[in-house]
Formats: sequence, structure tokens, C-alpha cells
Amino acid sequence: MTTIVTPRPELLDTAAGKDNYLTYTRGFLSWALTLDHKRIGVMYMTAVLASFLVGGTFALLLRTELLTPGRTICSAETYNQFFTLHGAIMVFLVIIPSIPAALGNFVLPIMLGAKDVAFPKLNLFSFYLWIGGALFTLYSLAAGGFDTGWTFYTPYSTTTTTGGVIPVLMGVFILGFSSIFTGLNFIVTVHKLRPPGMTWFRMPLFLWALYATAIIQVLATPVLAITLCLLIVERTMNIGIFNPSMGGDPVLYQHFFWFYSHPAVYIMIVPAMGIISEIISVHSHRQIFGYRFIAFSSIAIAMFSFIVWGHHMFVSGQSGLMNTIFSLISFSVAIPSAVKTFNWTMTLYKGTISLTAPMMYGLAFLFLFTIGGLTGIHLATLNTDVHLHDTYFVVAHFHYVMMGSALIGMIGGLHHWWPKMTGRMYNEKMAITACIIIFVGFNVTFFTQFMLGSQGMPRRYYDYQPEFQVYHVISTIGAYIMACGFFTCAVCFAQSLMSGKQAPANPWGGRSLEWQCTSPPPHDNFKSPPTVGNCYDFSMLRWDEKEQGYVVDKELEALAIAAEARGHS
Amino acid sequence: MLSTLTSIFIATASAQAAPPVVTPADFWLPIGASVQSHNVDLMFNIINYICYFFFAVVVAMMVWFVVKYRAKPGTRIRNDGLTHHTGLELSWSVIPLIICIGIFFFGFTGYVDLITPPKNSFDVNVTAFKWGWQFKYPNGAQSDNLVVPSGRPVRLVMRSNDVLHCCYIPSFRVKKDIVPGRYSTLWFQCDIPTGLEEKNGYHLFCAEYCGTGHSNMNRRVLVLPQAEFDEWLVKQAQWLDEIPDDELYFKAGPKIYARCQQCHSLDGTIGLAPSWQGIWTRLTTPGGARFSDGKSYADIIGTGKEYATPEDYIRDSIYNPGKHLVATYGNVMPTFKGQLNDRAIDSVIGMMKHLDEFDAKGAWTKTVPPAAASPAKK
Repeated sequence: MTTIVTPRPELLDTAAGKDNYLTYTRGFLSWALTLDHKRIGVMYMTAVLASFLVGGTFALLLRTELLTPGRTICSAETYNQFFTLHGAIMVFLVIIPSIPAALGNFVLPIMLGAKDVAFPKLNLFSFYLWIGGALFTLYSLAAGGFDTGWTFYTPYSTTTTTGGVIPVLMGVFILGFSSIFTGLNFIVTVHKLRPPGMTWFRMPLFLWALYATAIIQVLATPVLAITLCLLIVERTMNIGIFNPSMGGDPVLYQHFFWFYSHPAVYIMIVPAMGIISEIISVHSHRQIFGYRFIAFSSIAIAMFSFIVWGHHMFVSGQSGLMNTIFSLISFSVAIPSAVKTFNWTMTLYKGTISLTAPMMYGLAFLFLFTIGGLTGIHLATLNTDVHLHDTYFVVAHFHYVMMGSALIGMIGGLHHWWPKMTGRMYNEKMAITACIIIFVGFNVTFFTQFMLGSQGMPRRYYDYQPEFQVYHVISTIGAYIMACGFFTCAVCFAQSLMSGKQAPANPWGGRSLEWQCTSPPPHDNFKSPPTVGNCYDFSMLRWDEKEQGYVVDKELEALAIAAEARGHS
Repeated sequence: MLSTLTSIFIATASAQAAPPVVTPADFWLPIGASVQSHNVDLMFNIINYICYFFFAVVVAMMVWFVVKYRAKPGTRIRNDGLTHHTGLELSWSVIPLIICIGIFFFGFTGYVDLITPPKNSFDVNVTAFKWGWQFKYPNGAQSDNLVVPSGRPVRLVMRSNDVLHCCYIPSFRVKKDIVPGRYSTLWFQCDIPTGLEEKNGYHLFCAEYCGTGHSNMNRRVLVLPQAEFDEWLVKQAQWLDEIPDDELYFKAGPKIYARCQQCHSLDGTIGLAPSWQGIWTRLTTPGGARFSDGKSYADIIGTGKEYATPEDYIRDSIYNPGKHLVATYGNVMPTFKGQLNDRAIDSVIGMMKHLDEFDAKGAWTKTVPPAAASPAKK
């Protein structure tokens, strides 16, 4: 199933580090038609970061408009298009593909010691589907934009006069298939391409997370596809499915939509949780605490994610009985989340912690995810949710989870694997500074929004009551601070690409397989089949001054093997 | 933390026994003014304290471990940490589970109270439309703000003319989506009167995104003592009838125009719909504005044509707004059939004919009785 690429003999002789996947072949077509998962991962990453820039710009425009009640920089129609675009771009083009498709593509096969994913051509096809979906989304702007909110609630979405609704629905439909194919590819890869010795419970936790995510992608996304099709059918052919004036039911749409979009929340957060499991254990050089509980909690979250969608509809006209059931089940998500949080925290205990840039993002994640997770309790509880539903409290809650956790996890992962991807180190001080600025800006922006929401400010408001202004001004200042942080981060990466130090094979002291190949990895990932050990046993590593990275110490390795043997006997 | 929780419980227990009060706004919550708000606030605060506790535990552990076990590269990697501890892990699965079930249960009972209106409730019919509200009372009275009696449960029977809307009154802690094609209900009871002064009323928002004017669908909830409310209700049902015919356009006109102003400007500002500026001249002189099907006013207004007089055209545009669309504008206006009667339409038409007497906001700027000022008026 993997592509069999015959190594070119003249390249086999070159020293390690020279023959790598970046220099293996050259030219535009060698990238555009590549089947190499690493190159596809890098292309995804570039595309996702470009989309992030666009979505982020819309966020800044929104926050600027909200500086004053009434008009500040744009009209209500424009504002509505801005927040719709911000939501749609961030969800469908950035967060959903960011970790599985971009980082996952790069890391998953190497972590498995494989040469590539199971279906490399399907992988490239997924990428072009993503590009197609993104082009449709762009085209929708030219076709008149859309102001439906990223949720496309009917009957507003089927009656609004903005012309870009159908193109963007097509775009999201196509993006959905990109996501399904990536998920399918990862499921098969994890099942079939694990090397001898890597049992399920020896897999790095990031792979468990990607596997759980892939299951949700494959099972939930088709529901979104069919829902969007029905929406297009209703809008173009006036067949009444969701619009009550044609005999349809708008609440049915909400059920369909959230049946996908609630699991989609876990498509976004579960892989970030996987990254955090890696970052926290690798940078504290400490066996992850409670491996099995973390692994099973990923699967538990994936399963629960399918039966809690109704909590998006507590005030929508869904029956009281349904609300009660959904409220009860929604609390079940709290348990695996609590397990993960406490296990990560315990992993720090008696560790050998390096406060590197990825670790800073890991700790930021832990802080922000705790807030994001705990405020979920207010929203799962029926009577408090009635007050908080559709207010800024919800906006703050999901930004803490989607951005403060999923996106921060992604950026943390990017810092973690950057040396592996590019073969270059970055200026660590600058990266940490960026992380701190983003962290501060994030909390200023979104913590304020919790107060705004519990004080009663509804979301998606262009204009607001004067008493809310002070919160909005603080929140906007936070957004600008965050923008400065991301800018610093971008400068740091640009500098690394241009003049960064050569990266060692193992700069952080990781034990999973990707740290055994050179940075950047060769085209085939491994020159010889890697040996699979306990990927969370760091005791045999030692910092090597000459290498500026971690190496396996023969003496310590012998000790570790002896210890393991004693443990087994 | 326990002592704080206990004090909250005691505070609420005594609050329930004490005469009704409006709880002032605090760091998190706005003024609580309904009989339901106390319970919701109690739940909110309990959850908050639970959150503070767990947040403090996680962050304190995190900071402590990072400070204590921080090491420079080159330090020998220690290998004496626990790899797992089933008891510990089970405890942080089971304890949160028990807490969650408790929170669920109290949230659930609170919710049942929140959605079950008492039998003796007073019904108000609510219509939500793009972009406004109409409140209709059993005696036929209509109001733009929600005026309700104090000390009595009020039930809103709500429907939507077009898309999803959502009725949200933050100070009462109630919210309910309004779904086109079905009725939804919401109830509350407020015991402290506010009077008819708008600035003393509570906010009523639309909380479900519904397009351009979504954020302008805010009204006030005004609470009157029962006797005053009854009086207001009778007066409100008759207000239009009590105005003499020749004063309709400047007394009733601006009040009705308040519903139109979101889309129709008076000073030529381009909005979602044609401005009323110069509308009567446009209607009565040949040429005029074009419709999206290419016809002009002159093609449809006049003897033997679709509308005999401009007045007929205006009336039909209010009742069947989508029939003729002025070019470049979309079909966004809701119908006002059943909401504006003949006298109301007369007031609007009268206002259109005397636009020079109104400022850009729709306030009448003349003080002289119109009979003396414009004797030519019909």
C-alpha cells in the first residue's frame, strides 16, 4: 500500500542531513505532485497558516468594530459577513485540518516508523480537496459574501439575499470530504503500518488522539455533507425541508447540524490533547502519568461526542425531556477531560522539566483548557445555561477551548516539531516571549467576554448597550496584544527559516520514533528499520553538548534495559 | 470554600423568606429581578466556587511542580516518578463524576421551575419579526415595549413572522428561541414595579442571530403595579382612537414610524429600504422610481391602473410588501397586516405627506396646530 520509491543510488552516499525530504527532488511539480506525507503535511501547514492569517484579520476587524456601540468602522451588513467569515474560516479551514491534516500528516507515519501513510495518493487528493474547498469559500466572497453565521441556521440561511451562500456550502461540503479521507487514511495507517513491537499500548499518545479523531471524522462528517446538500436543495429548488413556510422544520436542521458540529469540536480538541500529552512528557522527560487512562479517555471523548449534541439546543424548542437527557450526558464529557488534565499535571511531578517554547505552550494549554473545560459546567447545567445560552459567555467558553486549547496546542506542536520539519532551530527566547504575549492577550480578550456574557450581552451583536462598552474595549485591546504575539511568533519562524541553527536529531529529548531520524527526515524517513522501545522512558537520554541535542547513552540504556527486565521477572 | 458555600445557602434561604428584592448587579451577574433569578444565581455561584477550587488546584500543582522540578539541559534525567496510580486516577474520575451528577440534578430541578408557568399566569402574545417585536394583549392593545403587571406570573406566547429569533431578558434569567411555524412560551414573574420610564425598564434582547437588524431588536420590559397596569392596558387599546383625525399624522405618525425607521430613513440616508424623503413627490410625478421589473410608479398608479391613488399603493405596500420591489432593494420587509389598522395607515400616509414638518429622527418639529398651518390639508 505504501509507495515504493527506489532510492536513487547517488543520494544514498551523501551524508545524513543533506539528503532529506526537502532536498530530495526539486521544482514546483515535485511538490505539487508529491506523494510524500511530509511534503503534504508542510503544504497543509502553509495553507492552514495562510487561512489563519485571513481568519485572524477578520477577528481584528470585528474587535475594532466593537470598540464603540453603533458604527465604528463598518456597517451592520459588513459586520455580519465578517463574523460569519471569521467563524467559517477558523473552523473549517484552520482548526479542523490544522492538527490532523498538517501536523498529523507529517508526524504520524514517522512516529509509526512507517515510510508513508497507507494511501499516499488519497492523501494528496485530500489536500487538493482542501484547496478546492478553500477556493469555493474564496469565490463565495466574490459572489456576494454570506451573512448566515458559520452555523448556517435555517430559515435565515435559505432566505438571506447574500449571494455567496451556495458557493460556501459547496466549499464546506468539499472540505468535509478532505477531512473524511484524511481520517480514513489515518485509521488504516494506524491499524496496518505499526512496526513490529509497537503494540496499541506502546503507541505514542498523539497517535491515540489522531486515531480517535479519525474515527469521529469518518463517522460524523458525512452527516454534515448530507445536511449541507439538503440546505442547497432547499435554497435552489425550494423543496421544504427546514423552512417552515414550505413545510419544513428549522429545529431539524439544528439537530442535523450539531450532530456533526458537536463531534467536530472534538475533531478540533482531541488531537491537541494528543500533542499536549507528547509535549508535557517529552519536555519534562518524564514517563506520562497514567498512559492507559489518557489513551482510553481519548476514545471515551470520541464516543461521548456523538451523544451530547442536544446541549446546543437547550433553548431552541427541543422538549424538556430531551434537554434533561442531553444535559446529563453532557456532564459525562467532564470526566475524561478531568482525567487528562490531572494526569498531565501529575506528569510534571518529579520530572526533569525544560521550560522550552513548546513546553510554555503546553503549560498555557493546561491553564486555558482548565478554564475552558470548567466553564463548560455552567453551560451543561440546564438552568444556568438558559441565562448564558447565545451570550458572550458561550463565545468566551468556546474560544478558550477552540483557540486557547486547540489552536495553542497546534502552535505548541508546531514549535515542538519545527526542528524536525525544517531542520532548523528557532530563537527560543523570542518564541517564549511570543507565547507569553499571546497568553496574556488571549486572557485579556476572552476572560472579559465571560463577564460580558454573564452580564447579559448576546453574541453576534453589531450594536450594543453603552454599559457593555468597557468590557468590549478591554477585549479589543487584548485582541491587539494577541496579534502582536502572533506577529512575534511569525518573525521568529521566518528568522529560523532564514538563519536558524542546524537542528540536531533530538533537540528536546523525545523518545518516540520521529526523534530517531535526522532533522529534517530523509525521504524514506528511516535508513534502517527503527527499534521500538517504550516511547515514554527518558532515563537513557543524556544531553550532548557537541550535538546540542539529546543522545541515547549506552550505559544508561543498559541500566534501563536491566531495570525493565527486573520489572518483568 | 465550604463556609462560603454555606453562607450562600443561608443567604438564599433567608432571601426566599424575606420580601421580594431586586438583587443588585455583581462582578458576574446583572440585576436579578424575577422570582426565578435567585435560584439561577445560586446555581451559577455554586458552580463558580467549584470551578475556582479545581482551577486553583490544577494551577497550583502546575506552578509548584514546574518551579520545583525545573532543570537545565545537561541535568541527569531522573527516573523516580510514578508511571500511574490507579487509585489516584479513579479518584479524579469518580469525584468529578459525583459532583457533576449533583450539579446536573440541581440544574434540572431549577430548569423545571424555569419552564413550567403557574396556572394563573397572564398571557401576552409576542410576535418577533425582522427586526422588531410586537406585544399584543388580550384586550387587543399593542405595545412596542413589553409592559407587564407586577406580582403576577406572565406567560409570553411567542411566534415569529420570518426567521429564528430568541427572546432574552437577562435580568429575569429567562430565554427562549422563537421558531417560525410553531409557538414557544416563556414565563417570568417580577415583583418590583419599574414604572413606565424606559430607562428604568429591563432589557429585552433578541439572542438568536437574525440578520442586519439583529442587535437593534432590543426593547424594555416595564413592570407596573396591577391597578396601574389595568389602567394602562385600557388606554393602550384605545390610544389611536382617541386622537382626532387631523392630529393623527403628527401624534400617531412618529410612534408608528418608530417601527419603520430601522430600514426607511427620512433624510435620504440609504438603508435597507427606500428612504421616505420626497416620497410623495415621487409617487405623484411621472417618472418616479423604478421597480425591479422595470415598471415605474406611473405605470401602476392612476385611474384604471393597479392602484387608483398613491394612498392605495402605500397601503398595499404595507400589507403585501413583496409585491412590487423598488429597484436594487431586496424583499426584506415583513407584512404589517393585522398590526396596523386603517387609522394607523392613515397616520403613516399623513406623515409621508408632511415630511417637511419632521426632523431626521421622526420628531415633529412644529408647534402650531396643523389646522392653522396648512389649511389645504384634507
